[in-house]
Amino acid sequence: MPPQIIRLVLLTIGIVCAYFMARYFLVPPSFGEYGHYRGAALQEIANREPFWAGRNTCDTCHKEIVQKLAKAEHQGLSCETCHGPSEAHVKDPEVKLPQMGYDKCVRCHEASPSRPKWLHQVTVADHYTGNVCTECHDPHQPKP
Amino acid sequence: MSENASQSGVVRRSQTAATGENVTRRRVLKSLAGITAGILALPAARMCKAAVQNGLASADSPPGYDPTQHKWLMALDVDRCIGCGMCVEACQAENSVPQGFFRTWIERYVIKKPEPESGKTRGETVVDSTNGGIGGFKPSAVAKEQILKSFFVPKMCNLCEHSPCTQVCPVGATFDAPDGAVLVDKNYCIGCGFCIQACPYGCRFFNPETHTADKCTLCYHRITRGLKPACVEICPSQARIFGDLKNPVTDDPLQRFITNNKVEELKANLGTGPRVAYAGLDEVVR
Repeated sequence: MPPQIIRLVLLTIGIVCAYFMARYFLVPPSFGEYGHYRGAALQEIANREPFWAGRNTCDTCHKEIVQKLAKAEHQGLSCETCHGPSEAHVKDPEVKLPQMGYDKCVRCHEASPSRPKWLHQVTVADHYTGNVCTECHDPHQPKP
Repeated sequence: MSENASQSGVVRRSQTAATGENVTRRRVLKSLAGITAGILALPAARMCKAAVQNGLASADSPPGYDPTQHKWLMALDVDRCIGCGMCVEACQAENSVPQGFFRTWIERYVIKKPEPESGKTRGETVVDSTNGGIGGFKPSAVAKEQILKSFFVPKMCNLCEHSPCTQVCPVGATFDAPDGAVLVDKNYCIGCGFCIQACPYGCRFFNPETHTADKCTLCYHRITRGLKPACVEICPSQARIFGDLKNPVTDDPLQRFITNNKVEELKANLGTGPRVAYAGLDEVVR
């Protein structure tokens, strides 16, 4: 065989070997587990700690209030929608949640032409001058 | 004569050298030695491989969650959205989204009344989304008397079945997970931004902290633990409904939503196959 062909063949073999070596080292082990990507990435993305505890977590200790809420207009609300993030309180019940105020009610119930008709809305300036909605309304069992 | 012979010997030797036979033999021997050394070094190579791969990405133990056993779907009910912006805040807090960037946001559509005698059904449409809806919406710049109708539309990643963003990724760092989530592998993303331009819904952004593409993960860390995504959990009006098509629960809110509503998807003409179902969309919503 002519030497230049032999050289070429050896060079080709070398390049192919280098390619397979590079593949061997660089392709992650979980690649191709579910598709053309790294399967372990799913687990890494799922590794974060949840920030919002969720209504079911509240239910484990505050069953009464959650049941009361379930019968009322506000039944679809998560506790944390109004009370704020509770993960710290779940880990240590001594950590109290911040006192919630007027702004929480107004945030949803202030009248706006963009809001759907089914929602109970008030023009707060005409409705009430104070800042303690709970004087008249119980947020766990609200009545218009 | 003897001089000639030695001369011809020199010539022959140099000819042999020129044909490269010597070099070939040496090479063959070298490569044989190389292969032997390679076989001997295989355990060492395995260790090196493990080290290289550990350096590229940390591998963690697999959870009890099998992505092939779920198929998630998000439903957004425009008639239920009250524009409070709680979902956007919930998402920012849950996922440490940098300020000024959004994985989900709310748009306010204000459609003005048509000019009198213009023969049109509606006037100009004004869309705004101040800070994505965080803190709620201030009254619209359009006077109340001018408004024909107005509504809020929650927006997020459309979880496309045929996602344009994953098709353009040059390194396979973004992908459609078998459970329907479209995710970004932060350890492999090179931050080229192709996917950000490819998304027809504008749902991706370049995260200035991680220097990678970023998007809604469907709160992957929550749904794999059996929790709802943060926006769905916090939404006070059930404008967002989330469920698993492969494991429907009793009286499944998602099934109820699909049965009771005329369901649409955004930009259906693009053939992206969104897995976010909208109800109550107006034609002006894009």
